[in-house]
Amino acid sequence: MAEYKPIPVTLIVNGKEYKLEVPPYERLIDTLRYRLGFTSVKEGCGRGECGTCIVLVNGRPRHSCLTLTATVDGAEITTVEGLAPKGKLHAVQKAMLDTHGVQCGFCTPGILLMMKALLDRNPDPSDEEIKEWLSSNICRCGSYLRYLKAVKLAAKYIKEGKIYFDEEEARKTLIANIPR
Amino acid sequence: MSKPYYVEIVEKVFEKTKDMRTDEFKWLGKIIQRWDAVDKVTGKPLFTLDLVNRIRDAVFLYTVRTKYAHARIKKIDVSDAARYPGVIRVITAKDIPGVNDVGYVIPDQPLIADKKVRYIGDTVAVIVAENYHAAVEAADLVSVEYEPLRPILDPLEIVEWGGLREKEHELIHEERGSDVVSRYKIRRGDIKKAEQEAAVIVENEYRTPFQEHAYLEPEAAIAWVEADGSVSIIASTQCPFDVRKAVSQVLGLPFNKVRVRVPLLGGGFGGKEDVANDIASKAALAAVLTGRPAIIFHTREESIIGHSKRHPMIARYRHMARRDGTLLGVEAEIILDTGAYASLGPFVGWRAIVHSTGPYKVPNAKVDLAVVYTNHVYAGAFRGFGSPQVTFAFERQMDLLAEELGIDPVDLRLKNILRNGDRTVHGQLLDHGVGLEEAIKKVVEASNWYEKRKLYGKPQGNIVRGIGISAFYHGNSIGAEGADFSTATIIINRDGTITYRTGLTDFGQGAQQGIMNIIAEVLGVPPSYIHLEPPDTSATPDAGPTVASRSTVMGGNAALVAAYRLRERLNKLAAELLGCSEDEIVIDAPDVYCRSDKSLHMTWQELVEQAFWKGVPLQEFGYFRAPPAEWDEETGQGAPYMHYTFGAVVTEVVVDLETGVVRVERAYTAYDIGRVINRVGAELHAEGGFIQGMGYALMEDIYHSKEGYVYNKTLSTYHVPLMLDTPEEIKSFFVEAGFKRGPFGAKGLGEPSITGIAASIANAVAHALSAGKLINAIPLTPDRVYMVIKKKGLNPF
Repeated sequence: MAEYKPIPVTLIVNGKEYKLEVPPYERLIDTLRYRLGFTSVKEGCGRGECGTCIVLVNGRPRHSCLTLTATVDGAEITTVEGLAPKGKLHAVQKAMLDTHGVQCGFCTPGILLMMKALLDRNPDPSDEEIKEWLSSNICRCGSYLRYLKAVKLAAKYIKEGKIYFDEEEARKTLIANIPR
Repeated sequence: MSKPYYVEIVEKVFEKTKDMRTDEFKWLGKIIQRWDAVDKVTGKPLFTLDLVNRIRDAVFLYTVRTKYAHARIKKIDVSDAARYPGVIRVITAKDIPGVNDVGYVIPDQPLIADKKVRYIGDTVAVIVAENYHAAVEAADLVSVEYEPLRPILDPLEIVEWGGLREKEHELIHEERGSDVVSRYKIRRGDIKKAEQEAAVIVENEYRTPFQEHAYLEPEAAIAWVEADGSVSIIASTQCPFDVRKAVSQVLGLPFNKVRVRVPLLGGGFGGKEDVANDIASKAALAAVLTGRPAIIFHTREESIIGHSKRHPMIARYRHMARRDGTLLGVEAEIILDTGAYASLGPFVGWRAIVHSTGPYKVPNAKVDLAVVYTNHVYAGAFRGFGSPQVTFAFERQMDLLAEELGIDPVDLRLKNILRNGDRTVHGQLLDHGVGLEEAIKKVVEASNWYEKRKLYGKPQGNIVRGIGISAFYHGNSIGAEGADFSTATIIINRDGTITYRTGLTDFGQGAQQGIMNIIAEVLGVPPSYIHLEPPDTSATPDAGPTVASRSTVMGGNAALVAAYRLRERLNKLAAELLGCSEDEIVIDAPDVYCRSDKSLHMTWQELVEQAFWKGVPLQEFGYFRAPPAEWDEETGQGAPYMHYTFGAVVTEVVVDLETGVVRVERAYTAYDIGRVINRVGAELHAEGGFIQGMGYALMEDIYHSKEGYVYNKTLSTYHVPLMLDTPEEIKSFFVEAGFKRGPFGAKGLGEPSITGIAASIANAVAHALSAGKLINAIPLTPDRVYMVIKKKGLNPF
């Protein structure tokens, strides 16, 4: 591959600033996964079709596999690692646990970020909105009905002011208290 | 012959607990959060490629694939590619130190082709470079001189109806002397006589498509050479022991010089069986040849052309019955297209023929099945493994029969289903644990079947609704396919925690949680005490492959045996220390006490500590082997599987008469899984299996051009169900007709959860459109359904 002059880029990932020099062809997913170690960002297709690589760029969902890092200079980026302060879980993560939406876990990060972005826009989405919004993500294990419940549960948590939950507590909760 | 100790233990536990309700157990059947859930929602590095950051000085691989689906290779010149900047080496077949083959069941699949290519995904060279980009770019510089051959894409060019004789044709596998991979038959009773006695005979031809697993995590492997020359591999595979075998063969190393570890899988569904042999072997080869760690991963496009698919089927069925609906006989010819390589085709064909007549009493049967090569993408294991194909066919047949006889489809099935004391079409006596009738009744009642069956099927404006049912059975574990054993290692550590090691992988559906629930139940500890160590061929005994819905039954039994023996020792020790009898001991960690006098008490940790002082070993190796299966090749008679999971599915659909689009509105599933071990896992299977089966029924297929190219190798052209396609409701019910040789009576659910779905949906569409024989192929894509609507004169235009 021909050599290109690296481009200086500043990214604020999960609240922390990174000053980088990246080749012009470098994709945001590779910067996040391999340069900065945010491996929650998954690559399922590299074409913006499966949704596993979705991250929030200035609060908006974006396919990191279709984004060149050099084009998001100065942006604030959120990955699953940054959904909640250390030792805490965000309401969408807790709701995902409580509704048992997790299976293989490969689509989970992208789904969680889509849920967060949806609830940031509309704290009380309808079923149709949730379905349409989350249809940007493929889940081959087929937990879709759980995600529908999870978004509603997370909305409820947030409405009740419960945005963060204790991670250790969640690990200990073996028999979850689930609305069934 | 006396019973092996492990069978005795499993049967003893079953006998002791068979009358218990599932809610009386402490951990079995409870809503338990899976062990890895928190790690997964917090995005921990759990998958193969997440570990790349920890590898230093790695080389990257890219596979150069053939340009033709069928051709002879005259010459390969890699010199230009080898000179490309960043390229370290280009591997071709001649660099393989061992055997150039990664065929799963039969040695028909070269790792790197050097004489002939047989499908569009065949590897001709592997580029090894300093970075991934260089490897991809150099691939274009590999020059191969081909002599193109005409690709054969129609299985009916290989064999013909009326005996499935092989036709004259230029062989795809000339080295094997035949393009028929394997043949099976069932001969029972006298089909001629059945035909004479029959009041009705229905016949039809059925076609089912390829299905792509589309697991979200594409294949990946990392390999490096250890100081002593042994090779370590981390790979996304279902079957670490099979990968070890394949890599050993390719490298010419003994098993104990190859170590395979498996992190968590981002889905498998059967697809990560043999493709892992391919990528792990390539990575290992590059690591050995360069002396550096080697990383290989597939893009989605490579994944879709590079790994096996569900076998397409073409079948002709004839069902014969009396006027009252009693089945007299089934005659069928079934052809499975295994594509360019056998992969697991021979086993898939066998499972297909075993299940080919369905969960019914069939006194007379004549079924022939052939698995044939073509130049399609190769087909292998996919959740269901031959069953969903034949279930689609025989369940459409049952509906045609019901229509012909004027009997309700549910009543026709209830008249013919297997019950306790009946014999299968193979002559196998099912003396217990057959819960099919209850399963059918559950879905019929929940769906309000009889009312909706009358109400639906009448167009209302531009739409029409339909309701359909399917019933099926699915043999547990691998049966007569091979050596059917499993293992588990349980170690109680000095601090009271438990290490559980298994050689079975978790594809992501949480099968391992079920096994942990079994260990917890037997030992009397919460599942949180148990730490699961993922498969590592150097640390865990060979547990056989993770296939055939065998984790809960086979892995569960092995863990049950190990836990039971530990519990016996702990009971004995606690009885000595507390001063009551062994069967008085209650372990409800952290408490250990005597049932009659709770003041005689100690803690779990004290008990474990005492075991160390008193020389009571707290590690145990569990083994279980399924009772040997019986199968007569000439007649298909015997006992092919140790037992069967039964199920029934009712689906409600709405068909758009203007567009032919089918939507599933509601579904009701009931599975007899013997005993609910892992409730969350069981429910997620019922839902997820349904959705995957719905994709199979309505939208999924691999399309090849006449040259053998794959048209749809991306996720925007290969359609899988999304959230908007998902039914409003998927209700799941479980029947618990215990199986005496399953852990606490349990049977498998992994594959059964997809087996009956397409049949149920197709039957609902047929009902909606009163389409009868016209619904004979899946996927029921809008174009296909619209042609039926047109033929029936139901289109509004």
